[in-house]
Amino acid sequence: MTRIGVYVCHCGLNIAGVVDVEKVAEYAKGLPDVVVARHYTYMCSEPGQRMIQDDIKAENLDRIVIATCSPRMHEETFRRAVAEAGLNPYLTEIVNLREHVSWAHTHEPEKATEKAKALVRMGVARVRLLEPLEKRKVSVEKSVLVVGGGIAGIQASLDLANAGFKVYLVEKAPSIGGRMSQLDKTFPTLDCSACILTPKMVDVAKHRNITLLTNAEVANVKGFVGNYEVSILKKPRYVDAKRCVGCELCTRVCPVKVPDKFNENLSEKRAIAIYSAHAVPKIAIINPDYCLRVKFNEGVCGKCQDACEAEAINFEDKPETVQIKVGGIVLAVGSEVFNAAQMAELGYGRFKNVISSIEFERISDASGPTGGKILTPKDNKVPKMIVFIQCVGSRDKRFHEYCCRVGCMVTLKQAILAREKIHENVRVYVCYIDLRAFGKGYEEFYRRARDMDIDFIAGIPSEVHCAADGSLYFDVYDNGTNKLLEVHADLVVLGTGAVPNSDLGNISALFHASRSADGFLLEAHPKLRPLESAMGGVFLAGACQGPKDIPDTVAQASGAAAKAIDLLSSGEIELEPLKAVVDKDLCSGCRICESLCPFIAIEMKPEIVAGNEKFRAEVIEAMCQGCGLCSAACPTGAIKIQQYSNRQVLTQVQAALAEAEAKGGN
Amino acid sequence: MSMAKPNLEAREKILAKLRGKELANCFQCIKCTSGCTALKLLELKPHEIIKLVNLGFVDELPSSDIIWTCVTCLKCVQRCPQKASPYHVIMALRNIAVEKEAKVPEGYFKAVSQILETGLAEAAQKCVTRKMEAVDRQNLKLPKVRPPKESFQVVFMKAMEEK
Repeated sequence: MTRIGVYVCHCGLNIAGVVDVEKVAEYAKGLPDVVVARHYTYMCSEPGQRMIQDDIKAENLDRIVIATCSPRMHEETFRRAVAEAGLNPYLTEIVNLREHVSWAHTHEPEKATEKAKALVRMGVARVRLLEPLEKRKVSVEKSVLVVGGGIAGIQASLDLANAGFKVYLVEKAPSIGGRMSQLDKTFPTLDCSACILTPKMVDVAKHRNITLLTNAEVANVKGFVGNYEVSILKKPRYVDAKRCVGCELCTRVCPVKVPDKFNENLSEKRAIAIYSAHAVPKIAIINPDYCLRVKFNEGVCGKCQDACEAEAINFEDKPETVQIKVGGIVLAVGSEVFNAAQMAELGYGRFKNVISSIEFERISDASGPTGGKILTPKDNKVPKMIVFIQCVGSRDKRFHEYCCRVGCMVTLKQAILAREKIHENVRVYVCYIDLRAFGKGYEEFYRRARDMDIDFIAGIPSEVHCAADGSLYFDVYDNGTNKLLEVHADLVVLGTGAVPNSDLGNISALFHASRSADGFLLEAHPKLRPLESAMGGVFLAGACQGPKDIPDTVAQASGAAAKAIDLLSSGEIELEPLKAVVDKDLCSGCRICESLCPFIAIEMKPEIVAGNEKFRAEVIEAMCQGCGLCSAACPTGAIKIQQYSNRQVLTQVQAALAEAEAKGGN
Repeated sequence: MSMAKPNLEAREKILAKLRGKELANCFQCIKCTSGCTALKLLELKPHEIIKLVNLGFVDELPSSDIIWTCVTCLKCVQRCPQKASPYHVIMALRNIAVEKEAKVPEGYFKAVSQILETGLAEAAQKCVTRKMEAVDRQNLKLPKVRPPKESFQVVFMKAMEEK
């Protein structure tokens, strides 16, 4: 004889403010096999959970229905509570009265109460058919793949490696360091970016637990949480990493000039060169799109080969694939800078003295194209008037609706740098909408900028013009003075925001990590699980999850590393038991399920039936995530998902259709 | 300075004419005003018109002559980062002004009768050659501009009334 307990949660006033919880509990008492029905302010609280546990023991309950918030919120909480009382946790059914009832029907309390009753009736009908299940345990690889070698990837790698985990750090560029290595100073302390980053880059290269794979990309990912098989494509470098000593003799003789990507194409380097001044690893690389020898083959050029004393040049270098097994993955692929040429009115791309904020960083940086002197790109002059324009491409429905979260602070920093480097000989204007200085020490930094005679204009210009003599001018209306200012500028710096990487779509598909509406990678929960993707064992760090400054990025990276350690440290993990099971006698071997399964969890196994070879589907348990695609598509009904069999679902449908007065039952 | 009082009813009337134009999203970046072609002729600035409507200070707007000064260059529509351009508000205010039979600049009625008679927004004009001779279509032996068909006038008037 089944003995069911029903518990209706008020969720403060979230549910009880709309649904008459008392009536619902009273109604539940009349449903067949229901022994206890209660309502309580917060079922998820300690006394709420204890109420259920006490009833299980006192009333000998063997099935529990909890009418509360979404199962995504507290299903795990209640399962744990039920298990503590000695009942199999999978004999619990969550009825969602908050997201499905009270929040959806706020203005119709009576109808909402009726709907709540119907949902409880369905839950009671279904809970009777649930079967006890056991969690599956699988062993895990105690190693982690970190994708992206910016400050996020570097921090996560170091934390993981220091905790004793084997780390594979994959970086697309020839050197690690990422966006932070391009910056001159960092806010709000004006630390030199290279001074705080380079030691960490060196630590990564030297750490015995870290395998560094630069100039490489992830090509394929198979497997599941705890047991991922990853193939990594190492692109040809044309320089033997073991032999190259970084002497740059090759660069001196190379005749081919190439735009320098690290300097945002503001200067040129050679077709064979070291990526940047602080590159790790400090090894030369040939750009195959420009190198005469690699492009045109035998007999051409080859000067670098003659010059290299270490005999490191290898024009025959081929791409190489590396296979690794890891338990977890940290995605730290960063972001890109908004291309301001899309906003034609501001003149970026048309006028050389209109630059983006990242280009200003390179101009201001000691290792940049001007050796750290702030000069206009067009005429190499010291600017007498610099104007910063905020929110370019961000907070703009035409491009990106979100706030870039760093632009205000970046501009304050750059305005201060301009003032410090050019002293009183420069006027600095900042045209802004709202100035957001929200972080620790940021408002103080803003005040420091105001102290330095930097002019803040509450208004954004509509367009930037270029006069016949090449000088820039525009009108901007200042909301403080109610005056239209006519501004002539030598240098205009656009506060360009961060945008999702152009190849983030591929990355999202490769790792099954979904994206949010703004295009960045989506966290599993915006508040409670910000460091994980929805895919088990795939963690998020840094600007690939949303624009971030350095302190936030480092914090998230350490957090993601800790999450990976939490997952893998015990050497085995528990998986949800909800998975697909195949009834072999019904399987016709049509392979529809195999083609649909997004987790490659179905294998077709040959079998001899009456002298003929026949294929039948088999579920690889550890890989099945219980999504149900196979079950819905199976033409013979041979595959079912545990706890969601046709019978279990149809019983619920029948209960939904039964009249309220019929008191549940059938 | 007198205390301003919002007129929420009148505000609703204006908003009703602006369905889909997300006025409330305006965060006063002032891009519209910085780039306004007619700014030097305006008493109220474009960004102020939006804010006045949002707050409900709308009583003077339809009868004010500012709304007729906009030259409809549409720069503010193109560049508004929040798709809340003042142009649409000004158009709504013009329609309300006509409905209220407020004073409408003469030029507008001239333009309407011009279109009704000739089908053209701009009438054929005399122009002056390099030799300072005034010429018109007749001098240049161009055919006469034919007036529009009667059906055009019917459709035009109907469209006007619907608005």
